Amino acid sequence: MRRRFDTATVIVAVPFLAFVGLFLFVPTIGLAIKAFTPGGSFGFSAMQRALEGTYRTAFINSLALAATSAILGGVIGLLLALSLRSLRRPKWLRSTTDSWSAVAAQLGGIPLAFAFIAAIGTQGIITKLLNQIGFDITDSGFSLSEFWGLVVVYLYFQIPLMFLVMMPAVGGLKNTWSEAASIMGASSGRYWRSVALPLLVPSFLGGLLLLFVNSFAAYATAYVLNPGAQLVPLQIRFLLQGNVITGEQDLAYAIVLWTISLLLASLLLIAILQRRTAKWASA
Amino acid sequence: MGVGMKVLRAIFLILLGLYFFVPLLAMARFAFQSVPVVLLTPEKLLEGWSISGLLEVFGNPEFQRATLISLQLMVLAIVLTLVLLLPLAALVEIRAPQLRTLMTAITLLPWVVPPVALVVGVAATFRNTVPWFLASPYSLVPFYVLWALPFSYRALDAGLRSIGARTLYEAARVMGASTFTIIVRVIIPNMIGAIIAASVLTAALVLGEFAFAALLLKETLPTFMAEFQRSEPRAGMALALAVMLLTALIIWIGVRALRKRGMDLQAAGV
Repeated sequence: MRRRFDTATVIVAVPFLAFVGLFLFVPTIGLAIKAFTPGGSFGFSAMQRALEGTYRTAFINSLALAATSAILGGVIGLLLALSLRSLRRPKWLRSTTDSWSAVAAQLGGIPLAFAFIAAIGTQGIITKLLNQIGFDITDSGFSLSEFWGLVVVYLYFQIPLMFLVMMPAVGGLKNTWSEAASIMGASSGRYWRSVALPLLVPSFLGGLLLLFVNSFAAYATAYVLNPGAQLVPLQIRFLLQGNVITGEQDLAYAIVLWTISLLLASLLLIAILQRRTAKWASA
Repeated sequence: MGVGMKVLRAIFLILLGLYFFVPLLAMARFAFQSVPVVLLTPEKLLEGWSISGLLEVFGNPEFQRATLISLQLMVLAIVLTLVLLLPLAALVEIRAPQLRTLMTAITLLPWVVPPVALVVGVAATFRNTVPWFLASPYSLVPFYVLWALPFSYRALDAGLRSIGARTLYEAARVMGASTFTIIVRVIIPNMIGAIIAASVLTAALVLGEFAFAALLLKETLPTFMAEFQRSEPRAGMALALAVMLLTALIIWIGVRALRKRGMDLQAAGV
């Protein structure tokens, strides 16, 4: 008769669970309690204020930035995976893209922001090059510290990340399927609509979530490009580093609690969508 | 595929290639050429190149201290990741597969609480109860292990499945080996690829993490870099490029190690 729990597994699981409990759950629960007890007594005022005025703007901006860079990065990353799938030559391109994506997906942060400043910042070399052929980036309204500037920089790690997520799914599409579909009289468009895309959807959704979370939480890049930007991570910094005005700390707790709830909700939403589409694809 | 599509595909790939390559090139020029962009003309393209700025950074004692801390954090985070996860992932796979769903869910949670969020919770709890803990830069280690979890656990889990750990376990079991012997002498030696992958992903995270370290006022390589670039733009740029290349090299080593074993370095198993 097998026991419900295996002794050896329990022995190694306990330190791990204690670790996650202490460093993830304790701080999260701690801040949740503080968010609901502004000024020491229970109340919703901090949670409410966290969604008003500049903080509301910060949430809207962060959501828009995360969604835009996730969708653009997702679509371009998927297109990259699809175009490499059918590409036979040059041979090195496929393996280089694989390795490069693994690298670039991790290259967020401080150095990445510097790279773009050197390229398309106001003193950037590409800015100057374009200027000489008669196109003024600055005049066109583009700036690295604004919304589209951040999107362009974030795509640098978003596209490779989506490529990494999609590559196994895209590689799993068998040529025999498209042949079978065409023998049965399906057009290539029909094949994509009814066979290929449904098979890719679960991975694509998972990838979108990864990209969304990735850019919503991105701090270093935005900090370098525009430390005063109205974005949630930078607002948290202000509240945390700013002088300890009574109530401001409570506001930081509340903003973070909203952020965690938002990310958790998107994780659950994607999990549900994935399950549904997986069923649909296998039906 | 029609000719038109092929042309479109080629244009798409070339544009993407430029997008990924040009910023690095611009960075290298800014870092190693002492001619300001305003004064740069085609004739001056080859003038003023030198790596003296970077060499100067290497001699900077503050840089050395920050780098040493970051390297220590990296090694400690990798060791802690493997100690906590490797036996657990192996045992869950071979003896308690019913726990797999739970492990997948738990290891995804750090995603939901990113560094800039958790730092607030840490300030709310640890700062009042155990202030000595946050005084040391080594207090960053557990948190770095935590954020690497979604990647490191999935790398180890994928490794376990690709070597058919359960079959290996049963075979060794039939021959009379104890669970401990099986994990140490059969499973782990077969998992070098996955162990390298988990380590490489953890290392990349430690070398790049900025928010948590900066908000807890710890001097690591990324926080030093952000500060340094303000006073020394050129040398700062050179340093950032060097760190980027170092990260790239570490990950590339991981990719090579995996490919030799017929695996790919993948994003968290989504």
